[in-house]
Amino acid sequence: MEKIIYAIVASNRSHAKLGDLMKGIQGISGSTLYALSFKGISVAVSDFTPSKFTINKGLAIDFARVIEELSQSVTLLPVRFGTFLKSDEIINQLLINHYDSFLKNLHQVENKYEFGLKVLWDYEKCSEEIRVKVASEEVKAADYFSTSTVYTNYLLEKIKKNRLEDALLKHIEQLIEEVSRHLAQINPDCKFKKMVTNNIILDAFFLVKKNKKDEFIKAIEALKQQQADLQFLLTGPWPPYSFVDIAID
Amino acid sequence: MILAMNENKILLNSAPMDEFEKAIEKIENTATSRINATPDNASHGLAKLVLTLIELIRKLVEKQAIRRVEGGSLSEDEIERLGETLMKLEMKMEDLKKTFNLTDEDLNLDLGPLGDLM
Repeated sequence: MEKIIYAIVASNRSHAKLGDLMKGIQGISGSTLYALSFKGISVAVSDFTPSKFTINKGLAIDFARVIEELSQSVTLLPVRFGTFLKSDEIINQLLINHYDSFLKNLHQVENKYEFGLKVLWDYEKCSEEIRVKVASEEVKAADYFSTSTVYTNYLLEKIKKNRLEDALLKHIEQLIEEVSRHLAQINPDCKFKKMVTNNIILDAFFLVKKNKKDEFIKAIEALKQQQADLQFLLTGPWPPYSFVDIAID
Repeated sequence: MILAMNENKILLNSAPMDEFEKAIEKIENTATSRINATPDNASHGLAKLVLTLIELIRKLVEKQAIRRVEGGSLSEDEIERLGETLMKLEMKMEDLKKTFNLTDEDLNLDLGPLGDLM
């Protein structure tokens, strides 16, 4: 039997109270959740035998449910699904070894929610507009070669494609600047992923103070009004999945 | 995060959901391919990994070459040879993808918080 880890928890309540909280939450597949603690930080754990279960989407959703329920009551750092360790002793040692970085990261996410924002565009339409703009700065073969062969033409096409990609990325950088400027007063921590697919141009994650939740949502709604050509999907509040900066070895 | 999404978590949505369904499908496919690793498909997985790394290097070489052409530091002969080399490399890569039944989308690695490799 192994131990599956759900989250690193700030346990600034007594161990008994934390134990009571965990008794009220079931681990995955009906397992019993419990805490291992060290100097005000705990690890939420349950027993688990991987060979007895099919690791699938249902189990991953159940795992996320445990983290979600815990996050309603405590500050936590979610642990990646599928993190198994052999024994409580190893987990205790992990807690001791990483104590300082856990403490620092917990402090960073305390009293904050994570929100996710996906921004979509009509790839065909928008890339065509940018293509036209790039084409106006015409790339001519004569600028680079005096002869025209199949190989120089191939390179010319590559240069044009490269310029278009640069222009698309520049466009997204401008959008990120606009989003950051718009949210400056709320001052969330932000992380951005560009061009997740051709249509999802931006996948953004924000860590927002709990008391600024409504203000943040209104600001995103206002931003949407200004960006008529773009589609928005705002989700949350989530536990701080994207703001855990610790690698457990 | 997407896996656990339910309607209560959607605060604002002006987007068609089919694009997100595609994104979820992509995540599920990645997870499934990791979970379903068997001795039978291990060689295919290895080919995919090796070709991904080759494609990454090929694209880096291509970018660098284009930068040099645009920078004007190459002679006509060098440009001609560079064009020929890059073209043949791309064609060879297409052949390899067909041989191993892989698409452009397959040739990528999910690096978790760092995003995709390419």
